[in-house]
Amino acid sequence: MKDIFLNEFKGYFRNKLFFSLGVFFFFFLSIVTYFSILQNEEQLVAQKDAHEHIRAQWDDMEASNPHSAAHYGTYAFKPLSVLNSIDDGVNSVTGNVLRLEGHRQNDIAFSESSQSLVVSKFGKLKPALVLQFIIPLLLIFLSFSSYTSERSSGRLKLLLVQGLSLRKIVFAKSITIWFIGLIFLTTTIIVQLIFVDSGLNEDVLSRLIYLLISFSTYYFILVSLTISLSVLFNNSTTSLSLIILIWVLWTIFLPTIASNTSEKLIPLPTRAEFKEAMLEDRSKGIDGHNPRGERRDALEKETLEKYNVENLSDLPINFSGILMQEDEEYGNMVWDKHFGSLYEKLELQKKSYQLSGVINPFAAVQSLSMAYSGTDMYHHLHFLKETKNYRRIFIKTLNDEYAFGGSKTGERGWKASNEFFRSVKDFSYTSPSFKSFYKKYLTDIIILLLWLFISFSLVFYSTKKAKIDV
Amino acid sequence: MIKVDKVSKTYGNHKALDNLCMEVLSGEIYGLLGANGAGKSTTLNMLLGFTSPDSGSIKILNSRTNKIIEKSQIGYIAENVNLYPYLTGIENLDYFCRIADIILDYNTLTDFLVECGLEKEFHSKRVSEYSKGMRQKVGISIALAKNAKVYLLDEPASGLDPVASNELSQILKKLSSKGATILMASHDIFRVRETCDKIGILRKGCLIKEMKSNEVTSKELENIYLTYMQA
Repeated sequence: MKDIFLNEFKGYFRNKLFFSLGVFFFFFLSIVTYFSILQNEEQLVAQKDAHEHIRAQWDDMEASNPHSAAHYGTYAFKPLSVLNSIDDGVNSVTGNVLRLEGHRQNDIAFSESSQSLVVSKFGKLKPALVLQFIIPLLLIFLSFSSYTSERSSGRLKLLLVQGLSLRKIVFAKSITIWFIGLIFLTTTIIVQLIFVDSGLNEDVLSRLIYLLISFSTYYFILVSLTISLSVLFNNSTTSLSLIILIWVLWTIFLPTIASNTSEKLIPLPTRAEFKEAMLEDRSKGIDGHNPRGERRDALEKETLEKYNVENLSDLPINFSGILMQEDEEYGNMVWDKHFGSLYEKLELQKKSYQLSGVINPFAAVQSLSMAYSGTDMYHHLHFLKETKNYRRIFIKTLNDEYAFGGSKTGERGWKASNEFFRSVKDFSYTSPSFKSFYKKYLTDIIILLLWLFISFSLVFYSTKKAKIDV
Repeated sequence: MIKVDKVSKTYGNHKALDNLCMEVLSGEIYGLLGANGAGKSTTLNMLLGFTSPDSGSIKILNSRTNKIIEKSQIGYIAENVNLYPYLTGIENLDYFCRIADIILDYNTLTDFLVECGLEKEFHSKRVSEYSKGMRQKVGISIALAKNAKVYLLDEPASGLDPVASNELSQILKKLSSKGATILMASHDIFRVRETCDKIGILRKGCLIKEMKSNEVTSKELENIYLTYMQA
């Protein structure tokens, strides 16, 4: 096996066309990775600057009414993961800034695709694009005639007479071409390790290793499938046509079909329907019960009883702050109902798309690529949930200050000090570690292993069925 | 020893071999003559284990074909030896030896190539620059380096110049004198007559005539061959 591997490699290195292509891809991938890292770091710096600017504005806030400050609000920035430079996943379409303010729960905004026609049309040139689409094509072109050239030239007979088994030849050839894919993969990872300035930690390193393993598994599946088909069909043109057809199905048609099917099976409400339902629940009460007016009256009664006074003006605290917090908390329940359901649906859609990997290993590797890069829907939803939690604490802190910070009911001009605003905790987001998230990707991992088993079986089957007597 | 016993093979409607019986003893060179499509290649493919007979049996060295142990004892020379064009002659020989678990030093590899008539100045040139005859000489050296007990040759002299062709005959005779069993399929009546101990004429998958080469002259053999082919 080692001798075949070395011989095949020698052949590629002594082939001027292949060598030039190999060098081209090596530099192309290195440059794409390098510029992607630069772009990522520029975005991170810009985001950090914006974040610091926003926080500085908040810290410099003059003594103000906490409720006015709640309207003034703040921003939560979705920090780009270090590996966003490999695969930006859903980041370019979901946006990365969320305005947090009182009364309103906003959507995340400023997606790159909304600001760039090129990004929205074609996506960004990231290493993932090269690793998912271009390198597999190169591997297909190297694989399809790898066996048939031996057969048509008559060398196959000589190899077999020398004692090699057909299975060994096919495996050795598959491994050689797979190894070429591995070189390109490793190139991406090494460039990533060399040029990333900060953020490399144990989690990122483990994600890179898993990325390498998953892509290399996918490459082996693709290469062994191509070679097995050429063994079965005994014809390089037929096998090339077939594998290109499969590749187009895997990368273009099946993902679209799977996405559309997920959307049909688990439909999402339209934006207008969603907002209207939330507004209605907020004003009329969830399920039409307990409308806003009744809720206010009940709270007022409860507060007066608690403080044992007759009128709001007799309260030692500011009832407006309590009322606003109650309204927020009711809003949170409405949010949990609607957004909770929406997030559940988004997760279900993602899960059903992951299942499409059973007929399309590309879906599994694409999903894992985004997962390891920390840029998929699960990571995005995690960020949104964290911003939701932060917003609740943020607004509650302001409302509590308004209610219990020293003002009384009706003192609209009351102001909290700058020290208070400075003491309000800033939003700080840490992306989940892959260790804590891996269960979400077990489907993809199992499917990829299943495909690996299928590809091994196909090598065994094709070499058993192969006809040598030409 | 090679023994083919009542072997038949059909491809679709075409009967490639029809009840073929033949035997090549140890130390014997057997020449199989026949026109295109007579069944020579099918016979060799069966002996090499690349196809199996519909009926009958084949034995090489007292065991069935298509086993690794037998492959290690079989040397094969094809009509068109196609080597790896990006390797030199000596690298090709080294590679094909290595995959057969034969590790030879540079001098031994050189000796094999020289023995098969490939001049030293070509040993380190890439095979893409070789003529058909030169490739054939490397192919012969690959078979020789295997030091096999059985040699199956499909038009081995194809592309060789008369001198090299004669050298091949000498090499084969030397191998048979050491006890090797050699089966050579060919169109070349003269070369078969010069090299082989026994000659068989194959027509439409049947062995129609078998004779010892020392019992006929080249001219007589040609006449016999033509008579049977036209019959």
